[in-house]
Order: sequence, then structure tokens, then C-alpha cells
Amino acid sequence: MEILSLFNVALIVATLRMTAPILLVALGGSFTTKAGIFNIGLEGQMLVGAFFAVLGSIWSGSALVGVACGVAAALVFALAFAVLVVSFRANEVVVGLALNILAGGMTISLMKAIFGTRGSIVGKGIVGLPKVQIPGARDLLGSWAPLINGFTPMVYVAFIAVPLLVVFYKRTRLGLYIRVVGEKPEAAEALGISITRVRYIASLLCGLLAGLAGAHLSLGYITMFTENMSSGRGFMAVAILIFSNGSPLKVLAGCLLFGFADAFSLRLQTFGFPSYLILAVPYLVALTALFALSYRSRPKIIRETLESMRKLLSVENKPAETGK
Amino acid sequence: MSTTSPAMTAREAGPAETAVELIGVTKRFGAFVANEDVSLSVKRGEIHAIIGENGAGKTTLMNILFGLLQPDEGKIVLNGKETVVTDPATAIDAGLGMVHQHFKLVPSLSVADNVFLGMEIRRNGLIDHRAQVEKTRELSERFGLKVDPEERVSLLSVGIEQRIEILKVLARGARTIILDEPTAVLTPQESRELFQTLRGFVAGGMTVIFISHHLEEVMEVSDTVTVLRHGKHVATQPTAELTKADMVRMMVGRDVSFDRRPRDKTGGKVVLEVKNLWARDDRHLPALRDASFTVRSGEIVGIAGVAGNGQTELAEVLSGLRPASHGSALLKDSDLTTLSTSAIRQTGLAHVPGDRLVRGVDGSASISSNLLMGRQFKAPWSRNGVLDWRAAANQAVEMIKRFDIRARGPEDTVKRLSGGNIQKVVLAREFTNDADFLLVDQPTRGVDIGAQESIHDEIMRQRAAGRAVLVISVQLDELLTLADRILVMFNGRIMGEVDGDSADSERIGMMMAGLQPGNASDEVAS
Repeated sequence: MEILSLFNVALIVATLRMTAPILLVALGGSFTTKAGIFNIGLEGQMLVGAFFAVLGSIWSGSALVGVACGVAAALVFALAFAVLVVSFRANEVVVGLALNILAGGMTISLMKAIFGTRGSIVGKGIVGLPKVQIPGARDLLGSWAPLINGFTPMVYVAFIAVPLLVVFYKRTRLGLYIRVVGEKPEAAEALGISITRVRYIASLLCGLLAGLAGAHLSLGYITMFTENMSSGRGFMAVAILIFSNGSPLKVLAGCLLFGFADAFSLRLQTFGFPSYLILAVPYLVALTALFALSYRSRPKIIRETLESMRKLLSVENKPAETGK
Repeated sequence: MSTTSPAMTAREAGPAETAVELIGVTKRFGAFVANEDVSLSVKRGEIHAIIGENGAGKTTLMNILFGLLQPDEGKIVLNGKETVVTDPATAIDAGLGMVHQHFKLVPSLSVADNVFLGMEIRRNGLIDHRAQVEKTRELSERFGLKVDPEERVSLLSVGIEQRIEILKVLARGARTIILDEPTAVLTPQESRELFQTLRGFVAGGMTVIFISHHLEEVMEVSDTVTVLRHGKHVATQPTAELTKADMVRMMVGRDVSFDRRPRDKTGGKVVLEVKNLWARDDRHLPALRDASFTVRSGEIVGIAGVAGNGQTELAEVLSGLRPASHGSALLKDSDLTTLSTSAIRQTGLAHVPGDRLVRGVDGSASISSNLLMGRQFKAPWSRNGVLDWRAAANQAVEMIKRFDIRARGPEDTVKRLSGGNIQKVVLAREFTNDADFLLVDQPTRGVDIGAQESIHDEIMRQRAAGRAVLVISVQLDELLTLADRILVMFNGRIMGEVDGDSADSERIGMMMAGLQPGNASDEVAS
């Protein structure tokens, strides 16, 4: 089978690479999820992060400044989200969607205003992030070296963040408070923990990681910005967050699944499958995973549907039967 | 966290004879006066009970003391020092601790994490779980509150959750502990254990303030009783000088009887027959296990048990709100488990639900609309498919008189009424449906004593009229007053049946805790 040749070190490397941005944004969302906020605005935060990272990089000529600009922009969006949702108690889904739409529209019109183009920004002096070369990796691991060597910095940040977050939730006071505020706000309130403050902090931490994820998209492997370049990764992160409940290890597992699907579809393209079909692969995986994970509660839903249908039928028949 | 100066001075003042003193405290919510010129003093080292009907202002007063509310007038003296209690942190610093009626524990955290939440022990900036477990174990042993510090709270029973709440208060250095209706969620045995703990506290020089409306407990455990009525202070007296009847008179302002209601022999025909009934709860776990019993006409059958042992599921299955997973419930030869809610009601069920605001009434609608519900298609309220609102209003006027509903009139909005009056609206509607079977869930939950008596009268009247009545209640006293037979539920099973005339609460309490009487060591596994 020729197709088996797909499964090699390169595929794993591609998986790790594709996992990184979605992992970063999903870990960001873990803060808000744990704090009891359903944050559907990840997509928009990531998108402005990507756009302003490119902008910063062009203006300053430095990738690092670019990343900082991207993060700052995402933080502004996260702050707006927190002000509306936490302080003004607006509906989080409505606010999240509104900010996503704003991010999409804003990046397009800014692109037009600044560069006079539509579609994408390429070249124009964008400085991408360098690839990290770990000394001695090649000698030690030989052909396996690409597994740990030669990624852009955000990939390392994403994967190192996972164990850090595990410790954060388990052993630090802020992590504990974020969990308490999400799980039992009245307990937090009774103990003098400010729910508002904790939720603000969680929203901003989320913006930080979403901004890094965005910068990785536009300054990582490809140094360009295209319209809607986050292409649903923020929403996939939301899906992962729903079934992982924000737990970092489960988030990692979910992201690896999507990363793999992404990498796999890229590799499949070389085999001449129709590209639109292939591009749908990650989304099909998302649907299947969600279905499989909610399968346990499925019998109940089916049973309840049957139940209500049976009741409906029995009501219609009953007067004739019993007569009472 | 925040140490404000008044609290510091209070602590420095050293021991005083009086632990807590309230002088002329008044609290208004708009036009409503919750506390009016209340003065009371609590001596160090006593168990001080505060009793009163619902809405008498007990909880408001304690919330003021603990800094959750600010008084409009009056002052608070803690340990001999006048203190402005601006927030709970001030109260905690002054050595006060409060165990609320509704627990505030985080289910996914361990016992120790919950005890130290907000004051974590840290080492190198990280939470030191081991030290917290150690400290919790130490506290638990010192005060005789048995808990496993490493267990997750979600796995524990309500009785143990309460111990954790008390430990939380102790860990913060409380010397005066306020408990708001602590026994409402406990079995009689758990209550007794709690009382022992409280006696241990006062023996060690601590002070306990205890809000309750269970007079037996007040008699049993307290040294001094303060009675509040309609927000005003009625009396503060040593418990030993009072009888139960005295307390009720002071609480209600008149004599009320809670003796077992007199009755003649029962024994009508079987109206409801439940056979091997099983049901699952919302988490899809078995909650009702193999229940079988009958209810005859002219008979009141009581279901006793600690809340959450399958009573809710039983009531929901019988009223068609929850599917049964197995078994049958025959009401006059129709199996309720196969019928829709409306068909069940047509067959002859009247249902007084346990949560009256959710399933009993539409709070934002008027009394007359609420009384109309379920009969809106029948004459004389509906003529040729058009509602006759005058007929509905007439009905409401009549019901308000007959059931003594205290309201401004038939168009009064239901949620404005007190708990007892809302319950009377539900009873008025359900008890006038000519249904043969009455399912009454928690008839007097949150209802004050005066209204309790009239609700009990009404249930007895239904019995005399030959109805079959199933009363589910977490208040054992109520069942001892009303029921001809009492079935005790534990963990979804019916543990046994006790005759109402010869029932003793000790035996029922054992069954409520899952023990078979006479075989106490044989615990029923879950």
C-alpha cells in the first residue's frame, strides 16, 4: 500500500506543528472555561492577533515586536469581552460572536486601508519567527531529531504550557480560585474571593494565549496574513473545551486529534484527492469526535424522545380506550 | 485577609462575660421592616437558640451580626467592644463564624482544600496540600468532627458536608459560631451527633448561636431561647423555664396544637397500588428502587426520609413527570407509568408539588389565573371555548375565603404572597378537583407554624372525605401528626413501614439512616 508511506516521522512532525496554534488558543480558552465563562470569541482574538503580529513585524522589522503587537491586540479584544460579559453581564455568546465578526471585518478593512489590497498580505518585509535549533539534537536522535528540533518558538511554548497549566490549576492560588469561581461562585463569594477580578484575569490570560496562537499563524511557518486566516481553529478550540471541560491534558488530547487530522489532510493532498474534500477532513473529525464523546448520553435522549412520542400517542388513543 | 481596626481592638479586649450583644437593631427593606428595635445578648459559653416563624427576621438578624447586611439603626457589641461589622471579614476577625443553611462547598475539591479555601497554606508560592490535610486532620480530631481530609466533597453526605462547614469556621479561629437551621438537612441521629459537638464547643468556652424552628431540638440542646415575631424581639429566657407550648405561643401569638390528629378507623378500598416501581434520576442512575405499596381511600400514607433518597423521583413518576424504568403504579386500574400528565390528572390525581414556585404556581400570574389552571376548558369557567374571567374571579374569592389565603384580592400576584399563602393557593386548586388520589409533596416546607396548622387541617378534611392521600415530607413531626402509616425511604428503597399510632421517631430515624431497626449493625449497602 502506497498510502501507508504517509505514516512516518514527517507526519508526526507535521501533526505537532499543526497542533500548536489550536493548542495555544484552546489552552487560553481553558482559563475562561474553568472560570465559568463560555468564550466563543477565541476565533476573533486569534485573528486580530495574527493580523497585528504581521503589522508589528513589518513596522519594526522584528518578529518579536510583531508577536508583542499581536498579543496586545488580542488582549484588547479579551478586555472588551471581559468588560461586556463580566462587568455588564451581557450574554457571552452574543458578545463573543459580535467580537468575532468585528475581528473579521476590521482586519479586512484595515488591510485595505493600509496596504490597499484585499485577500492577503505577503512579502512587504514581514519578518517571520526563527526556527529553534537545539544543539546536539541531530547527533543524539539522528533521523528522529525533527521531533524536537527545528520548530518555531510557539510550538515549544504550546507544549510546555500544558504541564505548566496542570500545576497552575492544582497548586497555585490563582488557579484554584479560577476553578472555584467557575464551579461554585457562591463559595468564592462567601470567602471574599472577588469573582469579577478572577474572571477578568482569566479572560486576559486567555487573550494572551490566543494572541500567541494568532502570531504563530501569521509569523510561524508561513509569513503572511490572509483574510479569515484562523479558519475556524478558534471554534474547534471551543468544541474541544466543551468536551474537555478545560482540563489541560484533555485539551492536549483533543488538539492532537485535530492537529493530526490537519496534518493528514495536508499529506493526502499529495496523493491527488480532491482538495475540497481533503480540507473538510479536520471538520469531519471534529464532528465524529463530538458525536463519539457525547455517545454515552445518547441512549437517554433517544429514550426520552420515544417516551414523549409514546405519551403523545397514548393521549390520543386514551379517551376511546378507558372512557373513564 | 483584611484586618480592620475595630476587629483588632475587639480581640485585644480579652474575655468578656457577654460574647455578642445587639442593641436596638432595626433593618428595613423598602417599606418592609425585617427587624425592629431588636436587642439581645448572648452570654459566653452558652448555646443560644433563636426561634421564630418564617419571616420573623432570624436570618436577617444573623446576617447583620455577620456583616452580610448593614443595620439601619442600632449597634453591635462583640466581646464587650462596640464593633461596626462592615463585612464578613470583620466578623471573622472578631472571632465570629457562620454556618449557612445552604452549604458553600466546592464539590470537586478535597475536604482539606475546602476548609482552607481563601486561606491556603503555601510553600514556595505553591499550595501545600499535605500541610492542609494535616491541619484539617488535627482540627477534626481536636473538635471531634470526623472527616477524611483527602476525600472529595462530591462523594460525601450532607451530614459530613455540614461538618466541613463547621471545620471551615473553626479553621478561621471562630469562638462564637452561628448556625442557621443546621438540622434541616440531617437525620435525627446526625442531629444528635451535631448537638454533642455543639455541647463540646461550649464546654470548651466557645459560644453557639443556633437558629431553628424545630422546638424539640431547641428544648434538647439550648441553654437560652430568644423568640422573634414579625421582626420584633418577644422574649429571651432560659430554656429550662419554658415548655414547648410556651414557645409556640410566643412565636405565633396564640395557642397552636401539633399533637397527633384524632381519627377513626381506616380501611377503604385500594385506590393506588404501586408495584416494583423503579426510576432513574437526572444523572441516569437508579434513584427509586423496587418500591411497592398501596394507598387506600380515607387513609393518609406518609413517606419519610432524608431529602434526596428517591422521594422526588417517586412523586415525579406518580405524576407523570418522569418515566419509570420498571414496574407499575395502578390508580383505579390505569397504569400511571404509561399515561401522560394530563391523562393522569383525568384519571384522578391531584398533585401538590414539592417545589411550589417551579411546578405549583405561575408566580407572575394572579391568584385567580393560578386557580383556573387545569380547569380552563371546563364549565363554568369556559363557555363555548371562551374563558369567563368573572367566573374565575368568583371562584378565587370563594377559595381565598375558604382556604384563608391572605392576599389583597383575587388579582393579587402570587409571588408577592408569603410561602404559606402560596402553598394555600396550590392546595385550594388541587384539593377542589375531586381527585381520588392526592399526592402531597412537602406540604409545609417553608410555611410558618400558623399556616402549617391550617394546611394539616385541610389534609385531614380530605382524608375524612374518603380521599387517598400520600404525603411526602422530610419533616418527621409532620408525618407523625398526620399519617396513618409511615413508609421510610433510604437510597431509593422503602426500608419499612411503621404504624402511625405507635410510631416512634427513633425507629424511623434508624431507617432513614439506612439501618434496619433491631439489627443496627447491618448497614444497607448503596
